[in-house]
Amino acid sequence: MSKVVEISPTTRHEGHSKLVLKVNDEGIIERGDWISITPVRGLEKLCIGKTMHQAPKISSRVCGICPIAHTLAGIGAMEASIGCEIPQDAYLLRLILQCANKLHSIALHDILALPDMYIPGTETKINPFTAEEPVRTVAKRIQRLREIGQTIGEIAGGEPVHPSNPRVGGMYYNISPQAKQKLFDLAKEALPMAIAQMDFMNAVFKNFEKRETVTVGKTTVDMPKEFGYHNQGYMAVDSIFQSSSLDFDPKWDPNRWTDVTPWDWYMGECEVSLEDPDYPIGGTSKIGTKAWPQMQACTSIPLYDGQPVEVGPRARMVTFKNFDHKGAMGQNIAREMEYPDCLYTIIDALDALDCNGSVLADEIPQGDGSLGWNANEAPRGTDVHLAKVKDGRVQMYNLLVPTTWNFPTCSRALEGAPWQLAEVIVRAYDPCVSCATHMLVVDENKKIIAQKLVQ
Amino acid sequence: MLFQEIVICGCGNPLFADDGFGPEVVEELKKISLPETVKVIDAGLGGPHFIFTLLDQSEEPVKKIIIIDIADFGGNPGEITLLTPYDLPPGKYRDAHSWDLAEPLHRIKDKIDITIIGCQPKRVTAPDLEIGLSDEVASAIPRTVQLVLKLLEEHYGTTIANIREEREETGGGKTTTAGCNS
Repeated sequence: MSKVVEISPTTRHEGHSKLVLKVNDEGIIERGDWISITPVRGLEKLCIGKTMHQAPKISSRVCGICPIAHTLAGIGAMEASIGCEIPQDAYLLRLILQCANKLHSIALHDILALPDMYIPGTETKINPFTAEEPVRTVAKRIQRLREIGQTIGEIAGGEPVHPSNPRVGGMYYNISPQAKQKLFDLAKEALPMAIAQMDFMNAVFKNFEKRETVTVGKTTVDMPKEFGYHNQGYMAVDSIFQSSSLDFDPKWDPNRWTDVTPWDWYMGECEVSLEDPDYPIGGTSKIGTKAWPQMQACTSIPLYDGQPVEVGPRARMVTFKNFDHKGAMGQNIAREMEYPDCLYTIIDALDALDCNGSVLADEIPQGDGSLGWNANEAPRGTDVHLAKVKDGRVQMYNLLVPTTWNFPTCSRALEGAPWQLAEVIVRAYDPCVSCATHMLVVDENKKIIAQKLVQ
Repeated sequence: MLFQEIVICGCGNPLFADDGFGPEVVEELKKISLPETVKVIDAGLGGPHFIFTLLDQSEEPVKKIIIIDIADFGGNPGEITLLTPYDLPPGKYRDAHSWDLAEPLHRIKDKIDITIIGCQPKRVTAPDLEIGLSDEVASAIPRTVQLVLKLLEEHYGTTIANIREEREETGGGKTTTAGCNS
């Protein structure tokens, strides 16, 4: 006899979401629904009629964690629509900004993921804020990596949080030779730290995966052999940066993408019949609580080739580097493996950067209303922005952000795990729910048929 | 350098009407020539995890942080007030989103002098999007800029009045400060 347990809100990730889980008598998840409960905002509608320069700035304010990814994808989509090619040095500066953002993001995720893990060889859970060794050294290293990521991002992007340097047509300014040298120094300082951090985190994740049991709150559960596995596909357009409709060989195809409503995807109305008041941070929802994922979910369900897909670091590793580690820990390990990639890419881009080179296109067309898209490989996965620009004004703008792609996929990955470990699987996706929350449903001809269904 | 001795942070989301107050003040402050030891940052909605959690171990030691944001303290729209971390309820770290102002600030308040300038909003439209400040909150921007300059003067042990007297004594011209009618 299945029971229903609800964890609301889920914690240690960005945004507000919840889990509605149907479990068997042993507490193993038979069906899991992970849904966004962040209220819908309607960003795409706001951008219509704005200039092509304004829209990416607006999308950069959707969320406090992904401003760089949204800025670059938004600007890229505008450029794709108007058919504007940017100079190589502008591209290199954007690439540096992208990698700096990823460096900071991976380090931030380490803080969020560590409290689920154990110090290898012990039964002690890791508190990233403790002053004791060995964790103190790791926490200091994380902070320094974050600071370096932020500093590189500020120098290349103009601002430490919401980048001001990127613009439609390239960048506002190139960097000075002194700034270039500073970036070199920072990247070279960070490289050995990032490799050490990757090794530490991967040892912790592999140790967790091999454990017999895991304790959550006051309950000890068996660790499943296939923890967080799913049979969905992967989607990634580049190992580190982006693809756009301007490319000679675009790596994403809007014709293979469809959207369905949460009504078609999630569970219907149900009632919570299992609760655990000792579950961390306030316990689970009380018995008798009504849950209705179909109606409560605030995201559309994007499909690629008619199926949900996983996006993110593992998708990139699987697509471009033959990575084969499955499950929640595979996702975490793939993310850590991007640490050195970010820094090697920054160093290579700096090598190629000409500080005297032009960073603005000679001509910036105003657009004829053609559809353009840019898919940016953000820290959390493929961030696709689609736009139509005519006479410099935005006619259509849509964001398909990483966590939106991952909601249905991660829901499938929950099956077979003890319900107490569901949040560990969710956190492996490093979700950013604020970005994911918007409701736009289109039919097979990409015509909008519903917006903002959930109030 | 990511941070300086003094960090001024404008927090908030310009997509939610008056919540854009902090970033708007920062835009005005950036028009003013401030000492090199002052760093003005548009923290937008990334303040807690992009800035406040990095302050205590930064390469350049931070002595003072001034945070500009909206705050509902029961005043009239556009009214500004000075707050300290003790006026904020101690938050509990739960996730990157709930890493609100309070928790990281309580963590660093003993190391760094923290001042929060709060402006009473008239209209915060979240989750609906609306760009632009109400007239009352927009009118608080010059007063806030003036207050920030006053706090900087106090930090450096000088005041605009002192400088003016000094200059007049040495035969220098009158000084004016952008955004202020001092």
